[in-house]
Amino acid sequence: MDGKQRIVKEHDKLRDQLSLAAAGALQPDEEQRVLLHAASCAECAAELGEWRALAGGLRRLPTPQPRGEVVERAMARAAMRFAEETEYRSNRRVMVFLVAFAWILTLASWPVFRIVSGGVLDWLDPRFNQTWVSFAALTCFIWATGGVAATLLARQRQSERRTA
Amino acid sequence: MGLESEVAQLRRGDLDALSALIARYQNRLYRYLLRLVRETADAEDLFQQTWVRVAERIRQYNPERNFDAWLFSVARNLAIDHLRRVRADSLDEPVSSEVDGETKVARLVSRERPAVEGMLERERSEQLEAAMGELPLSYREVLTLRFEEEMKLEEIAQVLEIPLSTVKTRLRRSLDRMRHTIQARYPN
Repeated sequence: MDGKQRIVKEHDKLRDQLSLAAAGALQPDEEQRVLLHAASCAECAAELGEWRALAGGLRRLPTPQPRGEVVERAMARAAMRFAEETEYRSNRRVMVFLVAFAWILTLASWPVFRIVSGGVLDWLDPRFNQTWVSFAALTCFIWATGGVAATLLARQRQSERRTA
Repeated sequence: MGLESEVAQLRRGDLDALSALIARYQNRLYRYLLRLVRETADAEDLFQQTWVRVAERIRQYNPERNFDAWLFSVARNLAIDHLRRVRADSLDEPVSSEVDGETKVARLVSRERPAVEGMLERERSEQLEAAMGELPLSYREVLTLRFEEEMKLEEIAQVLEIPLSTVKTRLRRSLDRMRHTIQARYPN
């Protein structure tokens, strides 16, 4: 490649970067090279001027503004959703605490029940006799009833929110 | 109150901070959405949806991340979903319905702002907006983020979730396309 070809290649390469230079999207060293080239090349200087005009025009485009009622509605809707989200998180924390508390009570009540009904050491031997099965069934029933009640309550609150 | 403290207060549950953030970003966010969807009614609806989504997700927002990029990314995802639903045929369809030689975008935007600038400057802006409205979505969004939002390329990459090199390529192509569109529409 002779000197002239190299200059033409360099010119084409830098010319490709003129638009990015006008957009302020080049690294400082890249931009410096483009500007130096444009300073000595009338064709690139003119084109850089056009790109700068376009970039300036885009920067000065007027800003359309949302209507006041749209902004107010956005605030109201977002505030309502935020309050719902806060309530949901708070409810979830309470629910986790209650479930943990209920499990602790349940697990603690089994050995206590065995101690009362069958002796101090007998609770270590959980035979599937009628008392134990009845107690387990009662526990499951209470948990299932609680779960159904919680689900129904949550659905009711959801529908109340939708109609509000 | 600074942006960081507003975001922190909102994460702690302060609704005043939400109002402050909406006031701070309302024009920029609306402009961005309008550039993407090109319809006032859609942009207004998406504007509201964006703030509802912010209210839902602000506690998941990582404060170390740039809030502008996060917010515009939330808005963009909603806009893209909307465009997929509404215009299933193509996200990049040109605005073809012109009345009296004026594009839909030009009409929409010109209706919204008062004539406070000089006639020539306004006409020029309208031409630029109309030309921008004809570009594909991927080009419109990179132009508005760079020139109107004045985001750095790294921030644009975060919003669009694409590599930095792709942002540069897209920016150059969008400017090329914009220039050709203007030259074709307004040869003089």
